[in-house]
Amino acid sequence: MVLEATMICIDNSEWMRNGDYSPSRFQAQADAVNLICGAKTQSNPENTVGVLTMAGKGVRVLVTPTSDLGKILACMHGLEIGGEMNLAAGIQVAQLALKHRQNKKQQQRIIVFAGSPVKFDKKVLEMIGRKLKKNSVALDVVNFGEEDEAKTEKLEALVAAVNNNDSSHIVHVPPGPSALSDVLISTPIFTGDGEGGSGFAAAAAAAAAGGAGFEFGVDPNLDPELALALRVSMEEERARQEAAAKKAAEEAAKQEKGEQSTSQDVNMTDTAKAGTSESENKATDLTDDENALLQQALAMSMDDSSSNIATRDTDMPEAAGDDQDLALALQLSVQDSMKDESSPADMSKLLADQSFVSSILASLPGVDPNDPSVKDLLASMQNQSEHKKDEDKEPKEEDKK
Amino acid sequence: MSAESASAIQRNQVDLLDFVDWSGVECLNQSGTHSLPNALKQGYREDEGLVLESDADEQLLIYIPFNQVVKLHSIIIKGPEEEGPKTVKLFSNREHMGFSNVNDFPPSDTAVLSEDNLKGKPVILKYVKFQNVRSLTVFVEDNQSSSDITKVQKIVLCGTTVETTDMKALKKIEDH
Repeated sequence: MVLEATMICIDNSEWMRNGDYSPSRFQAQADAVNLICGAKTQSNPENTVGVLTMAGKGVRVLVTPTSDLGKILACMHGLEIGGEMNLAAGIQVAQLALKHRQNKKQQQRIIVFAGSPVKFDKKVLEMIGRKLKKNSVALDVVNFGEEDEAKTEKLEALVAAVNNNDSSHIVHVPPGPSALSDVLISTPIFTGDGEGGSGFAAAAAAAAAGGAGFEFGVDPNLDPELALALRVSMEEERARQEAAAKKAAEEAAKQEKGEQSTSQDVNMTDTAKAGTSESENKATDLTDDENALLQQALAMSMDDSSSNIATRDTDMPEAAGDDQDLALALQLSVQDSMKDESSPADMSKLLADQSFVSSILASLPGVDPNDPSVKDLLASMQNQSEHKKDEDKEPKEEDKK
Repeated sequence: MSAESASAIQRNQVDLLDFVDWSGVECLNQSGTHSLPNALKQGYREDEGLVLESDADEQLLIYIPFNQVVKLHSIIIKGPEEEGPKTVKLFSNREHMGFSNVNDFPPSDTAVLSEDNLKGKPVILKYVKFQNVRSLTVFVEDNQSSSDITKVQKIVLCGTTVETTDMKALKKIEDH
């Protein structure tokens, strides 16, 4: 909730006609500006935002810092594209506009959208950056549009010169399928150094990207039951895998002494063949009920932990009995995790992705991802993921029935 | 008679630290780690190791508002021999100055600090210019050795208060 006055510098030069960002660079920029204004005003009602254009006939201030969102949106209308961007003049005029802000208690920030090539020297930009730092003005740069090593280098130098305690950021947005605004939502430019705009950002993400910003693609605000069900099943699945990993680790310890080495080799070669053997196994499992039952009994007799898995599976259907939607969601999530396992490459990649796993772990109460025992578990999981898949398949088959 | 009044003024000198409005104190171009409280606050400023340092270049702009009107008599600025401030301009009652407009107004007083001053000898100011001070802006223009960083170890403001009511004290009495 930092009290801030922001000046947004828009690039409306000829380079903005390009369509590599849909629908056009200029339109993508305008959407991003609208989102930023909304986020800033929402994070603190006393925040003010102003807009100026850097190209065209010259640098022109469209609206001085104001907290009136309507005024800002109105001025974005009917902007014309043309001319060349004048970065230095744009930043200096923005600095002047901020100096004359109404509320002197507001922190000063400039956000620059740099879409066209930068014609100034690195030295000049660094001097500008130092002057901004001296006057405690923070600077955020969105580097999009024209890609040019010199441009990137110059902009990085500029932000480095201004940066004071990580208050200034630079974001590079390459052209791609996702919109400029969506990419910006997850950056510190939007989230304001980790606080404030995140609430607005979450809502905007749900609206814009259809819930892609959330863990299960479901907004907890819109459908809490569904989100809860998905989350519960995800946690149970993870717990199941952990238990299986422990079992696999025990087995691995046995195998080092030479027991079951041959069967182990067979298993390993099976799982080593990336997709084919697994899908074969799955096919045979699906069709051969008796075999599956036998194997499951075998697995259960081998280790107590799989029986725990079975009981947990029964817990889930009971909970689902209350609500049809819930049951469907649980079923879907179980199937989804099954499909994940059928491709070991994906699964191991998923588990190998430390950040993903630790984020799930962190979401669980009472689990500290930095705990050494948890870290060991993660390591063993990655090693033993193939074994785990075989064993997990059997209890899942039971659950499906 | 003038001698008596002069000594009377000196006898009533108090450290104006108690009358500083801390919520409005600002310092431009200060380093993040070595900031203004190191030079101003009681305790911090006595510590020789804690200094106020400048960041991007050698200039510093310090804004000190007071919670009541004061008369400023003298100022003590202590700093290291090499990087201590040299030319110091003082502006009274100018709010929110920036480095760009600092040269637009004539300063209320200018002090060129000598080595003695940096060791603690007070600089007597033009008292007549500082009769009615609501806020003080201290602009450190350069330092003794023209190095890139200016270091200030201690700033003391000496003067007297005018007979204005301290609003906070008033509230307390009402509570009874």
